[in-house]
Amino acid sequence: MEPSPPGVIETAVIDTVGLTKVYPGGVTALQGLTVTFAAGVTGLIGANGAGKSTLIKTLLGLLAPTGGTATVLGHDCVSEGEKIRQLVGYMPEHDCLPADVSATEFVTHMGRMSGIPATAAKERAAEALRHVGLHEERYRQIGTYSTGMKQRVKLAQALAGDPRLLLLDEPTNGLDPAGRTAMLELIERIGHEFGISIVVASHLLSEIERVCDQLVAIEGGKLLRADSISSFTGASQVLLVEVESDDGLEALIADLGRRGLAPVKGKDRFQALVPLAGDDTFDAVRDSVAGLRLPLSRLEQRRHQVEELFHDDTVGALSGDVAGETANVR
Amino acid sequence: MSVNTESVIHDLGYKRYDGPRLGRAEIVRSLAWSSFRAAFGFGRSFKAKIVPFLILIVLCLPAIINADVVSGGAHRILDYDTYRPDLRIFGMLIFVAVQAPELVSRDLRSRVLPLYFSRPLRPADYPAAKFIAFFSACLVMMWVPLIALYLGTVASLHGGSQIWHETQALFPGLLIGLMWAIVLAAIGLFLASFSGRRAFATGSIAIFLFLTWVLASIVIQAEAVKVGGIHAVQGPGPGPIQATAPPTPTGVKIGGLFSPYTLMDGIRTWFGAPLKNGQVPDPHSFGIVYAIVTIALVAGCLYGLVVRYRKAALS
Repeated sequence: MEPSPPGVIETAVIDTVGLTKVYPGGVTALQGLTVTFAAGVTGLIGANGAGKSTLIKTLLGLLAPTGGTATVLGHDCVSEGEKIRQLVGYMPEHDCLPADVSATEFVTHMGRMSGIPATAAKERAAEALRHVGLHEERYRQIGTYSTGMKQRVKLAQALAGDPRLLLLDEPTNGLDPAGRTAMLELIERIGHEFGISIVVASHLLSEIERVCDQLVAIEGGKLLRADSISSFTGASQVLLVEVESDDGLEALIADLGRRGLAPVKGKDRFQALVPLAGDDTFDAVRDSVAGLRLPLSRLEQRRHQVEELFHDDTVGALSGDVAGETANVR
Repeated sequence: MSVNTESVIHDLGYKRYDGPRLGRAEIVRSLAWSSFRAAFGFGRSFKAKIVPFLILIVLCLPAIINADVVSGGAHRILDYDTYRPDLRIFGMLIFVAVQAPELVSRDLRSRVLPLYFSRPLRPADYPAAKFIAFFSACLVMMWVPLIALYLGTVASLHGGSQIWHETQALFPGLLIGLMWAIVLAAIGLFLASFSGRRAFATGSIAIFLFLTWVLASIVIQAEAVKVGGIHAVQGPGPGPIQATAPPTPTGVKIGGLFSPYTLMDGIRTWFGAPLKNGQVPDPHSFGIVYAIVTIALVAGCLYGLVVRYRKAALS
């Protein structure tokens, strides 16, 4: 995936200063979060319970923060929640679709709920469904849809109100690998071709890094790190090699080392990561795998695992006091 | 000519919406209208229309029979204030129990509420729209039979004064219908908002309305018997009530508080309507308690509904 195209205007869409949310029960969901989200596609990374959903609800003006401030598209979350909700499309994590209406009817209705008049809402619903790749099946009842199609309807309803910003909560949840890829491509297209800024909340960094221009990582309601994706990854491209044999993997790593490469073991079993240095690397891997007669099951070019980079930083960030720290995403 | 078998995708790109945006009030109106339609099964399958329309037809039957009787020269056989009490009690019970969940439980079940609350609506707007919609639907169920009764009667009347007299008789009936619609819609939506499961929602509404009504009826009867029989207080069915009926015993007055139906009947007689086909004799000064309890019931249900959705907005 290419880094952010030149068309993206680098202005802040979300700005939080010392944002804090303590629930009445005493649970602290956000702790002095200060971060700026630039235009474009931003990944909001955090484990379950890190405060992603609380942040989204606060940004939508549905939850009042107990401290700090937040603005979305220049509007204050506390006093101008309605204005924000008019400009923002939200796709929740969980199922949120009625089974007994067609996608067309549903998306039209949700468009009207965003304040679009009846006729225009119909047109926009048809277009939104076309953009997400639902065609004839949009007249069928949603109950008959696959998970992937339902996710597309959820995205379409968020698009129906012509948002300036989309908040997507775990959009690839429950999807098979092909469905994930399709959904991510769709997100990238909306973010980079339609000119709608997107915040994608996810706990799977390796997945959404492919489509993001920048990343914001939070943990325990605090900011871990916020930066552009390229500053995380640099130019380091790696080749992921997967062979279905533990011994074979050891042998492969040793052999590639002899060929002048510096492979490391991957995060998952059977995987090795080989820093990519031109086409020669591909040839070396091919020759090595063939020479060792290994069952090659995957060969994939990707960026350095941002997750690992994040993790290294995580340790440093956590040891220091990150509350109140300002990080700007560029 | 060679045939191009590959389909061509015309990418029309993303279009911005530059037209006017409706305000919150318009959005609430739009939600209320779609919910009102849903209460009668419009925009849904044929099956969804069966219950509301069947009940509406059944509720209109007495009015149709009346039109036939009146056209034969007889007097109107039904009153506007009570109509057919039994039919109305059970007809509305079924309508509210079946249709209130259609408006409320469905959205809970499909967990669509976060989508509403992520739009310009405020949490209280959603229950407000649902109440407006369901109250209007209940009003249709109450008023259409009354208007049918009125038209069927007026069609056989001669002279302006007769028609004016008939119209005057209709108005209190419409007001009582209005009261029924407010009270039943509030109770129905409140109870339905607790369950995303339709069957549970329907069951809880039906059981609540039926059991409270049975309880109130039993207490009223038992208390009336104590002071010399139900007929001493309550007229023996259709026909003029006894002018010399003894004052309503306190037990009977209290019994009437136990059910929304008897509460509303007590308010009806308190405002001077004859007991006749009703259940609760004039509570006299105790009538203020009936009014307060009824208002508290409606206010409590509506407040509960708002609280329920304020919570739901955050889930």
